[in-house]
Amino acid sequence: MEAQRIAVGKSVLKLDALALATGQPKFTLDLDVPGCLVGKILPSPHAHAEIVSIDTGEAEKVPGVRAILHFGNTERIPYTTAGQGWPEPSPYDTVLFDRKVRFVGDRVAAVAAETEEAAEQALAKIKVEYKVLPAVLTIEKALAGGAPVIHDEADCEGVYDPKHNIAAAVDIPVGDVAKALAKATHRVEVSCEIPYFQHAALEPHCVIAYFDEDGRLVLRTATQVPFHVRRIVARVLRLDPKQVRVIKPRIGGGFGSKQEVILEPIAAALALRTGRPVKLAYSREEVFVASRTRHPMKVTVQLGADERGVVQALDMEALSNTGAYGTHSLTVLSNVGSKTLPLYNKAQHLRFHGKAVYTNLPVAGAYRGYGATQGYFALEVAMDMLAEKLGMDPLELRLRNHIRAGETSPIFEKIGEGREGKAQVVRSCQLEECLRLGAERIGWYDKRRSPRREGPWAYGVGLACAMQGSGITGIDMAAATLVMQDDGTFRLLVGATDIGTGSDTILAQIAAEVLSVPVDKIFVYSSDTDFTPFDTGAYASSTTYVSGNAVLKAAQEVRNQILEVAAQALAEPVDHLELASGRVVSSKTGKALTLQEIGHRAIYVVHQRQIAATASFTCPESPPPFAAFFAEVAVDTETGVVRLERFVAAVDCGVAIHPKLAEGQVEGAVVQGIGHALYEEMHFSPNGRCTNPNFFDYKVPYALDVPPIETILVPSHEPTGPFGAKSVGEVGINGPLPAISNAIYQATGVRLTRAPFGPQRLLGALKGRR
Amino acid sequence: MFGPIVKPKDLREAVQRVAEGGRPLAGGTDLFVRIRKGLEKPGMLVYVGELPELGVLRATREGLEIGAARTHSELLESPLTEPFPILRKTLGTIASPALRAMGTLGGNLVNASPAGDSLVALYLLEAQVRIVGPQGERELFVQEFIQGPGKTGLRPGELVVSVFLPYVEGEPVSYFRKVGRRQALYISVVSLGALVWLDGEKITKARLALGSVAPTVVRPRAVEEALVGRLAHVEAVQDLVSLLSSLVQPISDLRASADYRRKVSGNLLLDLALFLQNRK
Repeated sequence: MEAQRIAVGKSVLKLDALALATGQPKFTLDLDVPGCLVGKILPSPHAHAEIVSIDTGEAEKVPGVRAILHFGNTERIPYTTAGQGWPEPSPYDTVLFDRKVRFVGDRVAAVAAETEEAAEQALAKIKVEYKVLPAVLTIEKALAGGAPVIHDEADCEGVYDPKHNIAAAVDIPVGDVAKALAKATHRVEVSCEIPYFQHAALEPHCVIAYFDEDGRLVLRTATQVPFHVRRIVARVLRLDPKQVRVIKPRIGGGFGSKQEVILEPIAAALALRTGRPVKLAYSREEVFVASRTRHPMKVTVQLGADERGVVQALDMEALSNTGAYGTHSLTVLSNVGSKTLPLYNKAQHLRFHGKAVYTNLPVAGAYRGYGATQGYFALEVAMDMLAEKLGMDPLELRLRNHIRAGETSPIFEKIGEGREGKAQVVRSCQLEECLRLGAERIGWYDKRRSPRREGPWAYGVGLACAMQGSGITGIDMAAATLVMQDDGTFRLLVGATDIGTGSDTILAQIAAEVLSVPVDKIFVYSSDTDFTPFDTGAYASSTTYVSGNAVLKAAQEVRNQILEVAAQALAEPVDHLELASGRVVSSKTGKALTLQEIGHRAIYVVHQRQIAATASFTCPESPPPFAAFFAEVAVDTETGVVRLERFVAAVDCGVAIHPKLAEGQVEGAVVQGIGHALYEEMHFSPNGRCTNPNFFDYKVPYALDVPPIETILVPSHEPTGPFGAKSVGEVGINGPLPAISNAIYQATGVRLTRAPFGPQRLLGALKGRR
Repeated sequence: MFGPIVKPKDLREAVQRVAEGGRPLAGGTDLFVRIRKGLEKPGMLVYVGELPELGVLRATREGLEIGAARTHSELLESPLTEPFPILRKTLGTIASPALRAMGTLGGNLVNASPAGDSLVALYLLEAQVRIVGPQGERELFVQEFIQGPGKTGLRPGELVVSVFLPYVEGEPVSYFRKVGRRQALYISVVSLGALVWLDGEKITKARLALGSVAPTVVRPRAVEEALVGRLAHVEAVQDLVSLLSSLVQPISDLRASADYRRKVSGNLLLDLALFLQNRK
């Protein structure tokens, strides 16, 4: 086993914990910039309309109004709001302000004024004449012949088939799936569907745009992708990127909704137009309607298995609703297949195909799980059905089919980030152990054998498995700069973006472990495009693995430099020296130097130099974390109410650098998934207006709604990960939809394939069965 | 968003201010939400939360008088409400601890929401509402007071001073079940409350009240009467399920369909019977 560790694997105090707990002004809008204007956005009242004219005359007369932007006075540069690496694999189908609006809430104009009241008055006085167009509110209508074309603008780029409202499409066959399905002894097919889900991050999207002493534009923003923000804002506003600095302070949650460049270019444009600082923040209602959502999707899975239950053929089709714009449309679609199909790699005949379709509804984008969540819902319900057909325990069926360490899947190579992927062998996988431990914890076999029934309350247990990735192969790159100070402590500069996940702390732990110092000897400064090296950002479960590896490399280089300085000072060869407990000690002579002495000597005394290193890491492969989920439900057959009794998540995320934070990631993801399964859904009027854009009407789970989430971290060692670590941020959200659906099936015999599984839907299904 | 907030020195002045068109304000847990949503734009708010008459909590030989401005948490904690377990059961499900600490019984009453949880208890207990206005004082039974969603028997210038709960005879079993889309902080989609008097396993008397299934809380008298003489068993009440469903007039809204509400209303009778059956 590994040597005694001092930082990795310990649940050390989160670096920002004290400041956050005591309410220090660390968040974006906590900064009070003198003379700051307030920005507001005029939303479209129509789902689909052309703007015939805009008259801002009256609005400009409102005292305190400083600028009004709209299509008539801004440049038209198509781009994507997707905060992805260059070149973004998302269509360029968005402009700052368009002549056409494509959903209720689409931006028509933006105002900057001295006060919020003045800005609101001005919005009310902007006169817009619309020519209302027929709206497309479902995938079926969007694909129907003669459907209104949502993106008929001539200058959009990278749209798969704009004339037919198809933003993206994929069709990836491996072998001959139709033939293999026809030959299979056992076949099942199921379609599972999810509606519009909201991320519900506590902090709404917000940004302050201001100018520094040298007139450079600073964007202090709630983002997951500061470096992409800088690149995209500079391009859309035709700025010299050198003149743009993006700072990410503390963030109140992102979950993918802040992997989008939505408000930053507007705030920047208003600031440039007025020469004044501008603060722009979404209200909760705007977050619901005009930020991003999960892609509503219908996924159909066909499985064919032999008599032993080994899956021979697997066909998965996804129909994705990307809403009015195609941000992340291709990559989320691709991930539905690429993050799910390798799990059952015995199948030699596979096909993944699907479309992402435009509608005149809110814009879907990145959301924790990123397509895998939708894919696993259908796949794991299908596996449950297959188990039933075979008369086999669903757990046993998983054991017969799931991928093991040392194995691969053709899917890794076939499906990548909007293009071909890269072949990959799974090097670490403890899914078998996850299944064993999870089953033991929830009492799987007893509860499957004799399900409880108490009056109208029917009990059931269900399970699901899932994997994800760790970063995007060949694309995600992170860099870290580590500098030793004259007092023997360290500065760690990382582009990595801590959005509440605790990544600053985890990266400090990795550096501390290599340097053999306590974590509090590392000062972390992150996510500032002026002062930290590049990082793609907080998405795709990448930070611990990709950024962590960059920190690991930088720390190893710094460690070598420390030993070199010590070797000179002690006049001993480097290979006699050891760095441990904040000192370099000679194994030969026993002579020692503290890190403070080494730092001081290097800076001030002889052979002066800065001990420092910058290292970068490009994701060479994307090791999947694995998880097994077990849900126990009680269903009231008289009201359709589902009470979640227990939820167990057994997760292999490699070595957990910070076990408590890893558990927190699992718990948070599982609770969001429970929301998907039982409570959440955005509703729309016949005109496409969201009718529940607030937490009063859109129900997320509260503390009373979830049992304690029982997380079991099942250790494995990922050889390519920093200290054996893999990702853990997303995998947990893939479990609840199928595990709860499968548990409800065991309890009631009703197979729910449309989320959420609310009382009315369930009672209706129960009635249908009787 | 709204006019001035005045704090009258006594009940007389409060009545005067309300007669001038002021809107009584106590906990504000509903009123401020409505103002913020733009549903109401009161010219003047009359803060009645600290008037002594609205703060009474007095047990008499006949029952308990509860000042309209008493908060849900005060009532949950007071030993004086112990003889009314049904009141505690319903109050305990209202919103969240923070809202229960601010919201008042009088507020829940004058809101006259068909989903008002405390109303179910007040209907079961046959509460009387004490009103004061320019023409003096008067009393209405709760079912006379509530006239429809948001509609009460208050005349212009009147305000609710207190609610009187008469003691019930004997020791009925109290039952309350609220069905909604979530456990925490939710508005009921259907609720059923009951007081059931038993002689052994036999029902000797029953009062039932349903929330969220009609313009007001519903007392299904036909079911109450039909229950008398039956055993408190699921099988013994099975035939009343459809009767109960037929006595409600629910609507469809964002939270649930009318069909669902009707069906669950009836099914909750089975849940009540099971509760009585399992009670030890």
